[in-house]
Amino acid sequence: MPAEMMIPPVLYMIAGALLLPLIPKSIRSAAFILFPLIALAVIWSFPDGYLIKTSFLGYELILCEVNRLTRIFGIIFALIAVIGGVYSYHIKETAHQSAALLYAGGALGVTFAGDYFTLFIFWELMAVASTYLVWARRNGEAEKAGIRYLLVHLFGGSLLLAGILIQVNQTGSILITSLVPDGSISSWLILAGVALNTAIPPLHAWLSDAYPKATVTGAVFLSAFTTKSAVLVLIKVYAGWEILIFFGVMMALYGVVYAVLANDIREILAYHIISQVGYMVAGVGIGTEMAINGTTAHAFSHILYKALLFMGAGVVLHTTGKSKLTELGGLAKAQPVTLWLYMIGAFSISGFPLFNGFISKSMVVSAAGEAHFDTAMLLLLLASVGTFLHTGLKLPYFTWWSEPKQNITPTKPPVTMIAGMALAAFLCTLFGVYPTLLYDYLPFAVNYQPYTLYHLTEAVQLLTFTFIAFWLLRGKLAGEHLIALDTDWFYRRPARFVQKVFVDGVNAAFDYTDKIAVKIVQVMVKFARNPLVIFNPAEKGTDYHADEHRASTQLLTILIIFSFVVFAIVSLLF
Amino acid sequence: MKKWHWIALGLLTAASLIAEFIFLTDYPKEHWWSYVPAFYILWGFVGCAGIIFISKWIGKLLLQKKEDYYDAG
Repeated sequence: MPAEMMIPPVLYMIAGALLLPLIPKSIRSAAFILFPLIALAVIWSFPDGYLIKTSFLGYELILCEVNRLTRIFGIIFALIAVIGGVYSYHIKETAHQSAALLYAGGALGVTFAGDYFTLFIFWELMAVASTYLVWARRNGEAEKAGIRYLLVHLFGGSLLLAGILIQVNQTGSILITSLVPDGSISSWLILAGVALNTAIPPLHAWLSDAYPKATVTGAVFLSAFTTKSAVLVLIKVYAGWEILIFFGVMMALYGVVYAVLANDIREILAYHIISQVGYMVAGVGIGTEMAINGTTAHAFSHILYKALLFMGAGVVLHTTGKSKLTELGGLAKAQPVTLWLYMIGAFSISGFPLFNGFISKSMVVSAAGEAHFDTAMLLLLLASVGTFLHTGLKLPYFTWWSEPKQNITPTKPPVTMIAGMALAAFLCTLFGVYPTLLYDYLPFAVNYQPYTLYHLTEAVQLLTFTFIAFWLLRGKLAGEHLIALDTDWFYRRPARFVQKVFVDGVNAAFDYTDKIAVKIVQVMVKFARNPLVIFNPAEKGTDYHADEHRASTQLLTILIIFSFVVFAIVSLLF
Repeated sequence: MKKWHWIALGLLTAASLIAEFIFLTDYPKEHWWSYVPAFYILWGFVGCAGIIFISKWIGKLLLQKKEDYYDAG
C-alpha cells in the first residue's frame, strides 16, 4: 500500500481548510476545488475492506473503513464539494471557503468512521463548520438562526454522546455495529442524536430555519452533507428498524405540507430536503437489500439534484437580492439558462424518466411494495406528487413564469455559478440515462430495472395529472406574506420568557448588586481618606496627614490599647 | 398554457392509457390499487388537490402567522 494512501480522506479536506488562507488570493478558488478532487481520487482508489486503525486510551479506533456503502457516500460527498467549489468560485472570503472544506471534511470523516469516537469528533466538526456558513450571510436573521442551529446541533451531539457513553459502558466496544431494537436506552439515545441530524420531525426545524438564511453558496453545501451523512449512520446502525418506515413516510409528507405554506424559495427547497430524506429513512426502516440500495442511490441522486436546485435559487437571490415568491416573478426571459438548469434539478427530484430521481426514488418505493408495506408505498407516491407540485411547478412558476410582482432587473451571475449548475445538471441527466453507472457501485448487487413500461406508465400518469391539478389550482399556491409555525416554536417562543427570567432578571440582579457594591466602596473610600472621621465628625472633608494627625492618632491608639487591657483584665477576673 | 401544451398532455395520457389497458393487462396485480383502472391518474390529480387544500386548511387553522411573529414583543 503506497504511503500516501494511509491518510484518511478527511485529512486532505482539513489540510485544505488550514492551507487555504496561506494560498495567494488569485489561485485560492482553484485550490479550493483541488482538495476535494484529491479526496475523490483517493476514495476512488481505496480497495474494499481497507482499514486505517489507531489506538487511543486503550480503545482501537477505526479512522477509515472502506466498503461499498461508505465508498459511494464518500464519492458523492467529495464530488459535491468539487461542484460546490466551482459554483462558489467567485467567493473570496477565505473563512467561508475554509468552513465549507472543513464541513465537507467532517462529512467524509463521519462516512468512513468505524468507531463512535471518530464519528463523534467529525459529527461535531460538521456542526461547528456548517454554522459558519449560516453566520457568513452577515445579517441579523442569519446570526440568530445560526445560534439556534448551533445550539440544536450541540443538543443532538449531547444525545449522541450520552448514548455512546452508555453503550461503551455496557458493551465495552466503541465500534459502530448494527443494533437490534432491544429497548436499550443507549440505542435510543444514539438514534435520537442521529435522527436530529437526519431532520426527522419533530427534531427537524433547525433545517428549515437555518438553510434559507445561509449564504447563497453555503446553502449548497448545507443541502448535501448533514442529513445524508446521518442517513449513512442510520443505514450502518438501524437498518430494518420498522419504526423508521413510519417516520420516513411521515417526514416525506410533512415536508410537502410545509412547502405549500412556504413563501421563501429556499425554504420550499429546505422542506423538500426533509421530504426526500423521508424516502431514505423509510428505506432504512424497510431494511431489505433492495431498500438499502434504493436509500443509497437516492442519497446519491438527492445530493446532486438538491444542490442543483439550491444553486438555481441561489442565482435568483444573488442576482435580484430577493428570495420570496411574493417579490419574484417574470424572470424567465432574463434568466433562461438558470431556469432550464434549475428545471433539470426539478425534473430529477420529481422522478421524471431520464433523470436521476427516477432511477433512485422508484427503487425505494418499489422496495416498500416488494416488502408488502403497501400503505407506505402509496403515501410515498403521494409525497412524490407533492415534490413535483412544489419544486417542479410552484417554485419555478412563481419565480420565473408568473407576472412579476415588482420591477426587477437581475444582474448577471458569475459564469462559474452557471458552470457549477451545468455540471450538476449533466450528472443528474447522465445517471438518469445510464443508471448502471450508479447501480454498479451500490452496496448490494442490483436486480432492479427502472425503465419498465409499468414504471413509465405510472410516472406519466402521476406527473401529468399533478400538473393539471396544479394548473387549475395554481392561484391558491401564490406566496403570502406569512410564516408557518414549526416545531422550532417550542424553543423560539419561550425564548422571550427565558430571556426575561434568566438573562434580563440575572442582569437586573447583577446591576443592583453592582450599585450597592459601588455605594459601599464610595463610603469606604471616604473613611479610608481619613479614618479619624469615625471618632471625630469635625474631621470631615480633610484627608489624613501623618504629621497633622499624629497627636489624635496617638490618643486614639492609646485609647484602643487601654480598652483592650481593661477588657482583658475584666475577662480574667470574671 | 398554449393549445399544443394541452395536446401534448392529452397525447401522453392517451399513450399511458393504451399502455395500461393493452400492454400491461397481464402485469401482476400486487396491490389493492392495481385493480383500480387508471389509478395513478386519480392519485396524481386527487393527491395534488388534496395536498393543496389540506395544507392550506392546516395553515389557516393553526400554523400561519405574520412574518414578524417571533420579533413582535
